[in-house]
Amino acid sequence: MTGLESTHGGATAHVDAFGLTDVGKVRQQNEDQFAIARLSRSLRLAHTSLENVSTFERFGQTAADLFVVADGVGGVAGGELASGTAVQALTEYIAQTAGCYYNVDVTGEHEFLDRLEQAARHAHDRVRAFSSKGQGPATTLTMVTLLWPRAYIVHIGDSRGYHLRGDRLRQFTRDQTMGELLADEGVVTEQQARDSGLDNVLVSAVGAEITPSIGVLDLRYDDTLLLCSDGLTKHVADEQIAGILRGAANATAACEQLVQAALDDGGSDNVTVVVARMGRPTG
Amino acid sequence: MIQKKICMVGVFATGKTSLVRQFVFSKFSERYHSTVGVKIDRKRVTVGDREVNMLLWDLEGRDGAQELQTSYLRGASGIIYVCDGTRPDTFEQVFELRTLVDQTVGTVPSVLALNKADLASEWRIADAQVSENEDSTWHVLRTSAKTGHGVEEAFLWIATAMTEDAET
Repeated sequence: MTGLESTHGGATAHVDAFGLTDVGKVRQQNEDQFAIARLSRSLRLAHTSLENVSTFERFGQTAADLFVVADGVGGVAGGELASGTAVQALTEYIAQTAGCYYNVDVTGEHEFLDRLEQAARHAHDRVRAFSSKGQGPATTLTMVTLLWPRAYIVHIGDSRGYHLRGDRLRQFTRDQTMGELLADEGVVTEQQARDSGLDNVLVSAVGAEITPSIGVLDLRYDDTLLLCSDGLTKHVADEQIAGILRGAANATAACEQLVQAALDDGGSDNVTVVVARMGRPTG
Repeated sequence: MIQKKICMVGVFATGKTSLVRQFVFSKFSERYHSTVGVKIDRKRVTVGDREVNMLLWDLEGRDGAQELQTSYLRGASGIIYVCDGTRPDTFEQVFELRTLVDQTVGTVPSVLALNKADLASEWRIADAQVSENEDSTWHVLRTSAKTGHGVEEAFLWIATAMTEDAET
């Protein structure tokens, strides 16, 4: 369990973020991982003879917030290893390339998006190192990098991202599963995809084959983001998710209630949630 | 290689995502998924002796033109407006959208895609209505994301126009 509150500099928002993971009621191991991280400039002035130190204040401001959920693929040995390795590799890569997050503007935005995708590919390479003859662990990876007010999305697999604005909850990721693919092609109906289990077969996963989906979402105050593994969405309908996100006092309470709802419905899988609520700046 | 951002603009369910999907992946689906925010895809094309990396920003379509989130347009070098030829209101809304786009990014090479041309029996936009609004500032053509008709032409036209724009 990890808690974090973050305040951005410049155009500011007060971000209340929290994450929670639970093994569920059936599985023996938790193969899910999550991370919430803050990228900030590290220079902190300790002592100086300078009179004007205001120029240093911006170095203490948050440059970006990072939210990640990964779900080690069930049925393949080492799902826990895959999700852990992927999140670790991803955050390390982003930390090493943090300089590019400080001044993202229109001209540098695509380079920035490329970096985010490269971070996912770096994680992919690290996980693939455990494979032999194409067989090995794999994981989903859903990542949001927030440079207020813009959220940059990189998505691989069938974990999900949701956006709540007012009463409206919308999924901003699409499940990269065989079921979705074949339903899109018109080969099967959505019902057949669900009934046949094709909805559980990933066509894109870190450590296997990846087709990262890239997106952008501009946020407003009072918006909420939710990233989650399918251990939540197997058990909790979108309407109930929306109700919990709307009614919870804060991100911590929202996470606890969402996980509890999945457990109350059977908890057949590991369940992981990351909630980030966008508030007006304090002070 | 030059890199250019192109925004797909239109109200909801006009086929923006389907046009991109047809152009980039040569695929079409009858299923409708509304885009949330922006989905970004890339495609490299060759214009003359230059390679162009097209960064396709597929903007969420809203109910009305006034709901366009103009912050997504910043840095766009080209715009593909999309309307649904079976819904005349979507054609009229393009002009409101165009005003908002022009205010945000200025005049950039533009295409107006009259989409869903495969639905000939349901077509509701008169040729006269189209020709009245044709001018040198945008390229108007019928497209079908389903059959692929006009899709390549729309995207390659804008790639060419942007490349020429970059050279002048």
